[in-house]
Amino acid sequence: MNYNYKPKELTLCTHCILPETFPGISFDEQGVCKYCRQEEKKIIHLDEKKEEYRKKLDSLIDGTRNKAPVYDVILAYSGGKDSSYTLKLLREKYDLRILAITLDNHFVSPAAFKNIKNVTDHLGVDTYSVRPPWPVISEMFTLTAKADVFSKTTLLRASSVCTACIGIVKNLILKTALEMSVPLVAFGWSPGQAPIQSAIMKTNPGMAQQAQEALLNSFPESIRKKIIPYYVPKTYFEIYRERFPQNIHPLAFFDYDEKNIIKELGQIGWMEPKDTDTNSSNCLMNAFANHCHIERHGFHPYVWEIANMVRQGVMEREEGIHKIYSDQNIQMINFAKERLGI
Amino acid sequence: MSDMKEKIRSFIVENFLFGDAGELKEDTSFLNDGIIDSTGILELVDYIEENFGIKVEDDELVPENLDSIKNLEAYITRKTQSAA
Repeated sequence: MNYNYKPKELTLCTHCILPETFPGISFDEQGVCKYCRQEEKKIIHLDEKKEEYRKKLDSLIDGTRNKAPVYDVILAYSGGKDSSYTLKLLREKYDLRILAITLDNHFVSPAAFKNIKNVTDHLGVDTYSVRPPWPVISEMFTLTAKADVFSKTTLLRASSVCTACIGIVKNLILKTALEMSVPLVAFGWSPGQAPIQSAIMKTNPGMAQQAQEALLNSFPESIRKKIIPYYVPKTYFEIYRERFPQNIHPLAFFDYDEKNIIKELGQIGWMEPKDTDTNSSNCLMNAFANHCHIERHGFHPYVWEIANMVRQGVMEREEGIHKIYSDQNIQMINFAKERLGI
Repeated sequence: MSDMKEKIRSFIVENFLFGDAGELKEDTSFLNDGIIDSTGILELVDYIEENFGIKVEDDELVPENLDSIKNLEAYITRKTQSAA
């Protein structure tokens, strides 16, 4: 399948991999994009910043471990390589009591479920999955596959389908942490996925509530009513005000080397799935979500994340180009379309 | 419009609105009007820390401080005055 979306047909930043079709982009006379230029100063100090955050996490965990009733941390666990590696890090390096929660969105690869079982058994971690009924997921994915309901800024970093899904994940994890009085919530965000200053951050109830409402209000009423049970109830923002947890995503400041991660995970029973696309190691919906985004916007929904990783030197540029500019697997696209009846 | 407001506005228009200021007013809510999402707020925090020489603490990450150009100007002014 040809999306007219190959590096040879597009001007790419000569430093990262952002394409000329990325909103707001411009290139200087060396062909370097404005985002690379904006980040130059920060990249110089990135190693110091990462060291600062590693110490900050050590100190946070020293003050948190074994103080909560049952669990020290809830991990949003997709079964993919990044969240599996985060789980391994939190268990083996920090010896935390972890509850790993998976959102079963009906498109989790069977290989990912096998990985979840193997990894949690090996590490001695409690786990469960939450599976919203098919009509809920089907309606939400069908809408977001066909149209964009979120802000332009949100769609720079993720497809509409992924944003809808991850919205449930984030709020389900926060809701559970509040109910169970768990002081930390963890995510396996890669170093390119979110700014480092968000890698250790206390969730502010006011900000979380406003962000949640803005996200929910993006959906039509029919879907909003169905997904609201997975979000944080309004009353929680007041009654659990003092319980709001710290968010951590350690891969933003620990060494991130994909090959090494896969090798280390192999030692605890995690195997790379063969049925997912180049940007996911757990989800069978991702190729179709990417396809829809590229068709509508002319850029890949993972390009911002991967460009950040190339800029930071945690991924080779050629590897980034392969991940972003390879064709989406047509069988996977058709599989998702058929399941959704599109 | 003050220099500070102008700088904040330019950053938002350039980075979140791709040059099209549209209906952006001083009191437009970034979150409610879909201009910036929760991750974007953190990029905004990064920008104001770097450009206005302040440190935004976790408990200051509230809409009352950060969710409009007007709120941001008032917050940065308070922070710089208390540091002086």
